[in-house]
Amino acid sequence: MKIQTQPLLRFLITAVVVVVALLLGHALWRHYMYSPWTRDGRVRAEVARIAPDVSGLVTRVAVVDNQVVNRGDVLFVIDPERFHIALAQAQANLAAAEASARAAGANIDAVLASAAARRAEYDMRQDQARRRQDLADVVPKEERTDARSAADTARAVWQQAQASGHQATAAREQAEAAVVQAQVAVERAKLDVARTEVRAPVDGYVTNLDVRVGDYAAAGSPRLALIDRHSYYIYGYFEETKLPSIRVGDPVDIRLLSGGVRLRGRITGVARGITDRDNPTGRDLLADVNPTFNWVRLAQRVPVRIDIDEASIPADVVLAAGMTASIDVQQRRVLDRGRDQGKPTP
Amino acid sequence: MPREIALADALVPSILLVYLGCLLVLWVVDTIVGRYGLYRYVWHPSLFRVALFFCLFGAAGLLLYP
Repeated sequence: MKIQTQPLLRFLITAVVVVVALLLGHALWRHYMYSPWTRDGRVRAEVARIAPDVSGLVTRVAVVDNQVVNRGDVLFVIDPERFHIALAQAQANLAAAEASARAAGANIDAVLASAAARRAEYDMRQDQARRRQDLADVVPKEERTDARSAADTARAVWQQAQASGHQATAAREQAEAAVVQAQVAVERAKLDVARTEVRAPVDGYVTNLDVRVGDYAAAGSPRLALIDRHSYYIYGYFEETKLPSIRVGDPVDIRLLSGGVRLRGRITGVARGITDRDNPTGRDLLADVNPTFNWVRLAQRVPVRIDIDEASIPADVVLAAGMTASIDVQQRRVLDRGRDQGKPTP
Repeated sequence: MPREIALADALVPSILLVYLGCLLVLWVVDTIVGRYGLYRYVWHPSLFRVALFFCLFGAAGLLLYP
């Protein structure tokens, strides 16, 4: 009896162990390959490249490298002398423009008075001509014609004076516009003076300070980088095989390579495009397709943006843009299970 | 258990440690089973040993590796 059952027992024990081994091996493989985690996470931050708005000599640098600054703090100062001079010039121009506007106003009064005098003269000539016409019997024809012509001339002179009045009005409007222009120039000069102090646009850290007293700072060319203190985030580069189990809003565990610090975060977005590295454009605009092996394929990595929960950052941890982090997304089915048990969210 | 550990400044996945530990456990089990002659209840001892290793490694990996 025992001799008959032993081979069956031997086979069964081995078979069971082999089947269990296959199942466990497959599960481990799936766990390792498809569970959403990556070692390839990078801390990033938004960086403002600080450039002066006006050109000039740097007279004062108010910060040192890696200093913490608050929004509005002065970073460096450009020699304001030239801009004070420009402001004085603009103010003088404004005064001149205002004076010429006043002169134009006075000119209008003069021209209007002159027009009134011409009008009076025209009225006089006109009356004179009419009287002579009425006395046609005693006044010679020549004299009557002369009087008529004199009246016409006076009328033309009056009209000319009226036109001069319009001209003077236009000149005054021109002068008033010039005053506004001069005011704008003064405002611009004041702005230039204000912009000689380069200020921090955000709270943050000064980095890569490349400006010294005596440098010539050209407008628009960045002189230092300012890292926004509140803008730290993480880009996790996930293999494309892991993307199906990643969802926007999922909470993630972040583990910094530096000291193994744990942070909490949340997925805020998945990049919808990466460069196709196998197909750069070659010469003559032709595709330059990279030949690959048929049976070795590398999963591409897609950036997933993760916001760090600022409350979870320990006070003594130094976060620097460019640091490495491991990202572990809390598994979707675990979350779904929790959601089914909990109340439905509105 | 962390996902990776530093071995002489080289970061290696901690599943490597699990692997080594499983090898050790397998060696112990193999010795015990061999001493008490339990391999007579097994069809192909080599196949059994390999399968046993995969059972150990799979279970330990799924349990310990996050």
